[in-house]
Amino acid sequence: MVTFLLRRVLLMVPTLWAIATLAFFLVRGAPGGPFQSEKEIPAAARAQLMHKYGLDQPLHVQYLRFLTGVARLDFGPSYKFPSRQVREIIAEALPVSLELAGWALLIAVLAGVPIGIFAAVRQNTSADYAAMGVALAGVSVPNFVLGPTLVLGVRLGPAELAELIACARGERDCA
Amino acid sequence: MVSAPGTPRRRIATCLHLLLALGAGCAPAARPAAEVAAGHARYFGDVTPPLDDVLRFNLGAEPEIYDPSLAAGQTDGRVCRILFEGLTHEDARTLEPRPGQAYRWETSPDGLTYTFHLRPGLCWSDGTPLTADDFRWSWLRVLKPENAARYAGLLSPIRNAEAYNHGETADSNAVGIAAPDDSTLVVTLAQPTAYFLYLTQFYTYVPVPRQAIARHGNRWTMPGTIVSNGAFTLRYWRQNNRFEFARNPRYWDAANVRLQGIVGYTIDDLNTSANLYKAGVIDWVPSGYLPSQAIPYLREYRDFRHGNYQGVYFYSINVKRPPFDNVWVRRALNLAIDRDAIANGLLKRSREPWGNMTPSGYPGYEHPPGLRYDPVRARECLAKAGYPGGKGFRKISIQFNTSEDHRRIAEAIQAMWKNVLHIQVELSNQEWGSFMQGLTGLQYDIARRSWLGDYLDPNTFLACWITGDGNNRSGWSNRRYDGLIRQAAREIDPVLRFAILREAEALLLDEGPTIPVYHYSTNELVKPYVHGIYQNPLDVHPLNYVWIDRDWRNHEAEAPHALAAPGAEDAASGGPAAAGGAGRAPSAAAARAH
Repeated sequence: MVTFLLRRVLLMVPTLWAIATLAFFLVRGAPGGPFQSEKEIPAAARAQLMHKYGLDQPLHVQYLRFLTGVARLDFGPSYKFPSRQVREIIAEALPVSLELAGWALLIAVLAGVPIGIFAAVRQNTSADYAAMGVALAGVSVPNFVLGPTLVLGVRLGPAELAELIACARGERDCA
Repeated sequence: MVSAPGTPRRRIATCLHLLLALGAGCAPAARPAAEVAAGHARYFGDVTPPLDDVLRFNLGAEPEIYDPSLAAGQTDGRVCRILFEGLTHEDARTLEPRPGQAYRWETSPDGLTYTFHLRPGLCWSDGTPLTADDFRWSWLRVLKPENAARYAGLLSPIRNAEAYNHGETADSNAVGIAAPDDSTLVVTLAQPTAYFLYLTQFYTYVPVPRQAIARHGNRWTMPGTIVSNGAFTLRYWRQNNRFEFARNPRYWDAANVRLQGIVGYTIDDLNTSANLYKAGVIDWVPSGYLPSQAIPYLREYRDFRHGNYQGVYFYSINVKRPPFDNVWVRRALNLAIDRDAIANGLLKRSREPWGNMTPSGYPGYEHPPGLRYDPVRARECLAKAGYPGGKGFRKISIQFNTSEDHRRIAEAIQAMWKNVLHIQVELSNQEWGSFMQGLTGLQYDIARRSWLGDYLDPNTFLACWITGDGNNRSGWSNRRYDGLIRQAAREIDPVLRFAILREAEALLLDEGPTIPVYHYSTNELVKPYVHGIYQNPLDVHPLNYVWIDRDWRNHEAEAPHALAAPGAEDAASGGPAAAGGAGRAPSAAAARAH
């Protein structure tokens, strides 16, 4: 079991390397660049920008710098938000994504697996059809419909909604 | 000045926004009934004023950078304008320059030297005194080549600024900016620039705090480290969520700033934006953040405002490629376009049909006659070019970047050219990067473009068509045109200058490297209890003197708009005459209007 897990983790390294390499070259192969706008950027300013981000260096140098950076989880400065590091932007949003994913996984494991076993044991009975029906509905209904329906239906009545609005307007202190 | 209005917007909808959107949509019936009962005109959604003096609005897409020296995007500018103030400050209604950090100034008779006198006792939000040298340092920072400021070109009227910016001289003393003492800034221009005082209120010209930049490098704009000199400071910021601004007690006119704070949500989803307004979460949706299909419906409401915006949507013709090197072909294409059908029909009156390359709204500038739809003449022109009835004319293509509206307009124009000129047109939809590469590399037949003005002068629309300008992008070159633009730049007399520019525009329209299609419009929603936000052609909104009127229903009955004019009387006097020592000189009337 331990060797199996270890092997899977080690296999991730070449996979990630392949993805990173592909991403690096695909972006550079595509037409256009990071500093294009409908209003022309003066040539001198563009050259300075390219220099600042190291884009004036030969491709292999850029690639090596990118790889060593990625290995240390350093993705460099953001092109779009020049005063920020990519790492910071990810660090800001990642905990929220992890929390959400964690809860989703927990529900999937605690509810989904037993229901699946139950359906499998009683194959082709009404219990099986009911379980599969719920699963199919969950997959088929778009997330943007299912999500708000669940939230609104399960948690929020009009009173809570009004409170949310009041919070957003700052009429109530909701910190 | 902005990346194209058609650039793809990333769609975000946080859980809260979605909830509010749905919540607002749930009970539409209750609201109008209550309002009708109260005998009031119809407003879009909730009109209950907030309990605090805080303006909440949709700032728009997340700003990329709001260091004013380096900023260039539309929403970047919105944040900069809230936080910083230049030598002059735009009047909220007319956008004319009013004394800002400078309380008076003198101009030399030849129009080349401006001497600005800073208000006594100016200071930064951290308490550091703000001196004339701060301006000099900040302007040089914009010009330093290594800073790669996109708007450095706006400083080029200053003597030697361009050379310094291009690295042709490294001597900063050669640049025409001098600070002989702490409160005097002397600016020497390369040539008279009629709109220079409009430039000094633009965010590229505001001072930036060198003490904070020295300490925090390019991270100085974060809340906690940022230091500003405008009416507000930055209190809180969360990416793709919101900016919170607090009143700056050290601002020279803080006594007349009535808002305690401003919250700018960064929402780029147009439906979310409209729904938040309807639910009463935000008080103002600036132009560009309402779904276009909702505009005909929103027109019915009293809190909807529609006006001209200083921008022109046009097609550019690559004159380097045959058959477009023939001026008669270009004229034919121009005359075969029914602008009315596009702006009023296709776009449902949300835009103005426009046949000129400069937009409206320049007092004193008389446009040359615009291009009109004339199918008969269009066919004559095409025949004159050697293609009677479209015979022998190759299939041409229209390039545009991905957007539903660009496609619909291109389809309409394709049909017009087919019906009027009997020529075949194919449409080529491209992703932004490829589109821009084709445009700059002149790899296109006809391409969709737009131009938004930086300052209130026709020059901002005409100067880019001179030979070899980075924004020309059509290959068009005309020596007479180049001469006229240069002549206008040297002309001090405003009437003569406009006459020269008019002649240049007439030439540009006659030569037809461009096909103007429509005039941009502003479409915005402002709650009736918000005062001091005005529609204007630059869509620039100084928020210093905005206030929330909790008693608006009573005022509405008296005079809906007269009330919204703090400082209007001063608007007439303005300028150097408003010298008044420290503090409360020009806009002291902000409080008086009530």
